[in-house]
Amino acid sequence: MSLPLKNKVRIVTAASLFDGHDAAINIMRRIMQAKGAEVIHLGHNRSAREIVEAAIQEDVQGIAITSYQGGHIEFFKYMYDLLQERHCGHIKIFGGGGGTILPSEIEELQQYGIARIYSPDDGRKMGLEGMIEEVVTQCDFDTTQQSEIENQQLDLNTTNWKEIAQLITLAENGKVVIKSLKSTIPVLGITGTGGAGKSSVTDEIVRRFLKNFPDKTIAVISVDPSKKKTGGALLGDRIRMNSISSPRAYMRSLATRESDRALSKHVQEAVDICRAAHFDFIILESAGVGQSDTSILDYCNVSMYVMTPEYGAATQLEKINMLDYADVIAINKFDKAGALDAFHDVCKQYKRNHLLFETKNEDLPIVGAIASQFNDAGVNHLFELLMKKVKEKTGAEFHVKHTSAKATTSRSQIIPPARVRYLAEIAETIERYDEWADEQSEIARKLYQIDGTITLMDKEK
Amino acid sequence: MMLTKELKKKYAELELQLHPDCKKLLDGWEELKKKYSGETFAFKVRDKTLDIPFTNTSLSGIGIKKIYLPRYSDWGDILKWQLQENVPGEFPYTAGVFPLKREGEDPTRMFAGEGGPERTNKRFHYVSLGQPAIRLSTAFDSVTLYGEDPDHRPDIYGKVGNSGVSIATVDDAKKLYSGFNLCDPKTSVSMTINGPAPIILAFFMNAAIDQECEKYIKEHKISIADSGLPMADLPKYNGPLPEGNNGLGLQLLGLSGSDVLPANVYEKLKAKALASVRGTVQADILKEDQAQNTCIFSTEFSLKLMGDVQEYFIQHAVRNFYSVSISGYHIAEAGANPISQLAFTLSNGFTYVEYYLSRGMKIDDFAPNLSFFFSNGMDPEYSVIGRVARRIWAKAMKNKYKANERSQKLKYHIQTSGRSLHAQEIDFNDIRTTLQALYAIYDNCNSLHTNAYDEAITTPTEESVRRAMAIQLIINRELGTAKNENPNQGSFLIEELTDLVEEAVLTEFKRIAERGGVLGAMERMYQRNKIQEESLHYEHLKHTGEYPIVGVNTFLSKNGSPTIIPEEVIRSTAEEKEFQITALNAFKKRHSEKSAEALNHLQQVAINNENLFAELMETVKHCSLGEITHALFEVGGQYRRSM
Repeated sequence: MSLPLKNKVRIVTAASLFDGHDAAINIMRRIMQAKGAEVIHLGHNRSAREIVEAAIQEDVQGIAITSYQGGHIEFFKYMYDLLQERHCGHIKIFGGGGGTILPSEIEELQQYGIARIYSPDDGRKMGLEGMIEEVVTQCDFDTTQQSEIENQQLDLNTTNWKEIAQLITLAENGKVVIKSLKSTIPVLGITGTGGAGKSSVTDEIVRRFLKNFPDKTIAVISVDPSKKKTGGALLGDRIRMNSISSPRAYMRSLATRESDRALSKHVQEAVDICRAAHFDFIILESAGVGQSDTSILDYCNVSMYVMTPEYGAATQLEKINMLDYADVIAINKFDKAGALDAFHDVCKQYKRNHLLFETKNEDLPIVGAIASQFNDAGVNHLFELLMKKVKEKTGAEFHVKHTSAKATTSRSQIIPPARVRYLAEIAETIERYDEWADEQSEIARKLYQIDGTITLMDKEK
Repeated sequence: MMLTKELKKKYAELELQLHPDCKKLLDGWEELKKKYSGETFAFKVRDKTLDIPFTNTSLSGIGIKKIYLPRYSDWGDILKWQLQENVPGEFPYTAGVFPLKREGEDPTRMFAGEGGPERTNKRFHYVSLGQPAIRLSTAFDSVTLYGEDPDHRPDIYGKVGNSGVSIATVDDAKKLYSGFNLCDPKTSVSMTINGPAPIILAFFMNAAIDQECEKYIKEHKISIADSGLPMADLPKYNGPLPEGNNGLGLQLLGLSGSDVLPANVYEKLKAKALASVRGTVQADILKEDQAQNTCIFSTEFSLKLMGDVQEYFIQHAVRNFYSVSISGYHIAEAGANPISQLAFTLSNGFTYVEYYLSRGMKIDDFAPNLSFFFSNGMDPEYSVIGRVARRIWAKAMKNKYKANERSQKLKYHIQTSGRSLHAQEIDFNDIRTTLQALYAIYDNCNSLHTNAYDEAITTPTEESVRRAMAIQLIINRELGTAKNENPNQGSFLIEELTDLVEEAVLTEFKRIAERGGVLGAMERMYQRNKIQEESLHYEHLKHTGEYPIVGVNTFLSKNGSPTIIPEEVIRSTAEEKEFQITALNAFKKRHSEKSAEALNHLQQVAINNENLFAELMETVKHCSLGEITHALFEVGGQYRRSM
């Protein structure tokens, strides 16, 4: 059951640095979501700085960490210190580590200012739900209350993470209305079906952006759906992001807060706040959408549709509205079976939609990519194409130095496609052997019986 | 008369259908029985034949043979037994891969890993003092497991030297194993490391090579100081050498044999060392992605590194070192049931086989470098885990991959389940461990580790480790039936379980195949989700009490069998951490002129898709673990987490 909460509760969850034990935190974050919290889950092996920066950028009330690998005293205190240093002492830290955190250490940490460290005994007394309810209830406060932002002019720069984050919260809560700014700062909208790998593509674009333009800044606004039943949400895009941890990058995850939308109502305000902070480039990533959704187009200058070769029959493509509108189409997971057919089909559909029957496939803004592959040539091409489109559409110039000539063009095959059935073949080989062993044993048995009979008859002779 | 003639005709017809191999097996049966009926057993080792005592006499005077054969008369039964069971050491190796167990060597490993290399070295010497065979097992701290260097940054600092040893440079590795002759056939070293395994392995190999160089330098009275190398500020072993440490491996701290010796001499000593080292590096990246999460590089890049290590092993005749320990242990610890443990582990093993084959390596060149590692719990399936693993591996290797006999033999280490240790009534844990150890020994494991009873709550103490060792010794030396080496064979239950588990594993293979093989299934998080579901199933039954655990959810003591919380736990000291960081900084300073170039070269090798392990063997002479992993992230990609 979700809790009756006064405020939208947002919590960052993670397992501590050099710690792969993520089973417990995964269970906890699910309960938090069920209680109505918006959870920004970072996964395992996260440094104190990564966690604290995520917490500030996301304007959360709480951080919940599991630590099973030792070093918890230093880890928790360091997070606390980093929050203080950045004037974010209002963010509460919760933790647990089973029996690895001794009772005396729990006391020491709570004395220091950690909101609560849960022990196995707490678990037994309060139950999982009880512990989570306490965390969520303690996080039910307004982060912007002490903030002086409301009356301030929007005099922001890209390093004012706390102020940017709190302004977005105020906008989400309907407390400030940000007037849309006239701005040439380009916004790239990324949308696509769920599971197409949008976050990985986004991460790879961010990586290339930061690497190519060492003096440019970037903001990423990422939207995930809220659950209608609980009001909670799993904001899971950060877990995929490896490149976002940079002083030149800001990321904010938004929940739709209405379950049937691909974008939050406050996306425009979030974009405008980022523009007001003078980021050089903004990426807006939508939640996974259906075939008809095109809502991202209202908020961006350049749009990209991310899909995979696994869309079913070619006729399905006729239903995808974004194939009419997207400036760039990325076919991700291009190592999948049927990728080349998919490329061909998507090109054909694109040509029909745009009446471009004479254009060569290579000249269409359609790119096959493998975002999961390091330095993938397809993603490099995609990045160059996007920057070109940005210039065409907004005039903003991002000159891409020619990307590494040594890029990986095709999937470095771990298992060659012809061998992909190896496990089935092994199973069949063994089953054949077993059948053969049975047959041979039956023959041997009959031979034994005949031999016995002959011996018997010879004796009777 | 007519009938006999008819029968003989039928016999001749049927006999034609009998495969020559099967005929040979049947014809040899009487001979085999004779071989296993004597007081001694003729055991062939390479070209020598040894006569080994075959009978143990009980106090009552009954002779217990090491192997008993079935009493079958029916050729059908005999043949079926030979095709599916057979004696230990014969295809399909169900009962074991060797004809007899090794004499005089208990399959006991010496575990250590705490603080800096010196403390762990001291502990290694303490536990192995006076032992005929040295079998060192190394646990690394989490900083090392994730490929980073020790640092003052608090979130790193707190973990330096905790629950494992801190190793950041080749000098640390030299200190860690100093005083052990790494090229001695009686020494074997196992390293529990995965993400950065190739780098740590290169540390180890260099330590072994430099030991050989050191011996040569001493023998030929070569002066290192004359080599023209800067001798000031060379690193030192911190503190006095422990008892048993003769200092071997410390002379070249801060240097490489290649700096001191002529190239041709160095190459010869290197070749000798590589051909002699014995041991295992875990390096199993697939199970990391499925269960344990210490991945640092992208999975593909990690696999490439593993392939490079194996290729290097083949090229340099590294025959006595396992390049991977294909591990089910962590899959089981994460909650998988024994069938999933076995199916996932074997399927991971076959994935390495397919990948190495696709790189052009020959099956018989690499299969003997593969080893396995399982967990042993209380479930009935654990009683046959070795039998099923050996049988599936052998059948597939022989019939699918046309591999030779050596490649068909699956060898495994097994550890009693850490998950079955409870923090309540911790004294009961040894009872569980004993039963699991008995499963393992009856199942003819090649190597066994028994957990200490207090591991659920703290780092084991000398007392608890001694008790855990005693479990193995009591079974091996006191338990009468353990004098026999095939006690499982002929049991209706064991035979039935073996067939059922084998069938279940093959069914799982097909499920994974439907998802595009192991890598395809991983992309959909198939293994991870299945492990989670099975873990929840267990927790649920444990919670409701349907799965009884004595002293935990049933048979509680008068005070309710509370959770035991340790008073204090062993942690590394500030001095040790500071020493590690100082030593690392000194290393970086000493190599400051060469490290950047070495890293650059390493990256070029990666970009050109050449063998990275061959290059790492050079890179580690000048660069630290953290420097190397960060350089590789830029050319191979970091691991991307998923949910």
